[in-house]
Amino acid sequence: MDEIKNVIELEKVTKDYGDFKLDNISFSVPEGSVCGFIGQNGAGKTTTINLILDVIKRDAGEIRVFGESVDKNSADLREDIGVVFAEMGFHEFMNGKDIDIMMKNIYKNWDEETFFGYLKRFSLPSKKKCGTFSRGMQMKLQIAVALSHHAKLLIMDEPTSGLDPIVRNEMLDIFREFVIEEDHTILLSSHITEDLEKIADEVVFINGGKLVIAGNKDELLERHGLIKCRKEDAEKISAPLVVHKEISSLGAEILINDRHAAARLYPDLLTEPASLEQIMLHYVSEMR
Amino acid sequence: MKGLIIKDILCLRKQLHITFFSVIGTVVISVMFVLSARFGNIAMAGERMLADNQMTSTDVKNLGVQVLVLLMLLPIAAVGDMTNVFTADGKAGFDKVAASFPIPIRQRVLARFMTIFAMFFMSVTIDTILAAVLSALTDLLSFGEFMGIILSGASVIGIYGSLLIFFCILLGFGKESYAQIFTLLLMILMAFIAGFRTIKMLWLVITEVIPEPVREDGSSFVWNTLDLVKDKWWIFVLTAVCISILSYTLSVLTAERKRGVI
Repeated sequence: MDEIKNVIELEKVTKDYGDFKLDNISFSVPEGSVCGFIGQNGAGKTTTINLILDVIKRDAGEIRVFGESVDKNSADLREDIGVVFAEMGFHEFMNGKDIDIMMKNIYKNWDEETFFGYLKRFSLPSKKKCGTFSRGMQMKLQIAVALSHHAKLLIMDEPTSGLDPIVRNEMLDIFREFVIEEDHTILLSSHITEDLEKIADEVVFINGGKLVIAGNKDELLERHGLIKCRKEDAEKISAPLVVHKEISSLGAEILINDRHAAARLYPDLLTEPASLEQIMLHYVSEMR
Repeated sequence: MKGLIIKDILCLRKQLHITFFSVIGTVVISVMFVLSARFGNIAMAGERMLADNQMTSTDVKNLGVQVLVLLMLLPIAAVGDMTNVFTADGKAGFDKVAASFPIPIRQRVLARFMTIFAMFFMSVTIDTILAAVLSALTDLLSFGEFMGIILSGASVIGIYGSLLIFFCILLGFGKESYAQIFTLLLMILMAFIAGFRTIKMLWLVITEVIPEPVREDGSSFVWNTLDLVKDKWWIFVLTAVCISILSYTLSVLTAERKRGVI
């Protein structure tokens, strides 16, 4: 059996800003997968992405992309990485043609035909200044750029935030299409868990600069569960199973880390599957 | 790197329009001035002043030279400021995009320097053509003297441009005005160190409140300075090259410390 290759590997990575610390983060993203990078605003997602791209210097730990340390040749490694940011980053006066002229002199593998093909597909006028584009159009332009130099890894920082559901779905379709190729991988940072639930294979969840969970999304959803019960029943549930309890005057909602075990142990309580959002909210509440 | 230079030039598009008009203006005014100084009203005025002993023939010539020098430096001065690029990049958040490009930080910094030198090359080429035309039309300055002045002027503005890039990188987005002030202050300081007496005399001549002997002494310094600019242009060029290399090195070190967020 072929060994699973990791496209991104972080080992005990630390970055201390004084008022915020990314603390001892370790996770990996397997080749060919879509990894959802979840966390609240300010959880450290962008800092982690900047560390992976070697835009900021880490204080400790090791980061490897395509099996190579980012310290040595991050610039060369970026030839195979497409990056999409929450904000467009291109100058407002630039149009598609200007961007094409610039990019073909930056990326060795820049494919002009592919780029204009994407612009056409996304209905983006190539002669119109990108400053006049809507937010959805600006995101599509960034995606067109990221996909036009035959990148093997897409790193996206909140690409779907602030977009309407139709455009978001369109984007997800594009991402799905990208990972059809076996060696294509996506690291998708978002706080919109609904999107990640639709597309992600792997999930990395960070909160307050600390890693909360990392692993296969389906396994995570399969394992976690929610029990909604009376306050008195909540006390009966074994502590190692409980991630977080939310007690209100109406009753209790408990996130458990092994719903099949809970169903066996407490057959009289109804155990429901938990969504990524519910899992995230309970973990965040527990950490507070 | 070429892509970044193209982007910088796109950012300077508006500035290039200004440069274009300043070049056209320079060509037209310079040719008109030279023709007038030879055959027109300026020549007549010069003759009258000479007849009335208000000026010596050297003064008339030097005045003409000064006007031409100022005109010739206009196109170079128009391209010496890169703050528009830094402002535009900062406003767009382009540093993040650039940081994701497969370009090492030192090349990203080099792109800035290459842009400014490409613009200088363009304006010096235009000035060279103009110098050839003017030197053929007038006996005020030879082509060699014109070129000396152009290269000296380009060197001084080149020093300004390269120091400005360093200060813009050091201070970061939104501090371009401070970068301009620091650059000017540093250049004034450098000029003082290099030629304190010359600058003092220049100041005395400008203020015109000084006794005649001192003014004459000061005037001779002005012309000496002009001679220095014309004849010892290589000192300026060499200084510009050294300062540009130093500024580039410091800019790379600063940009690397900031992990390319420039």
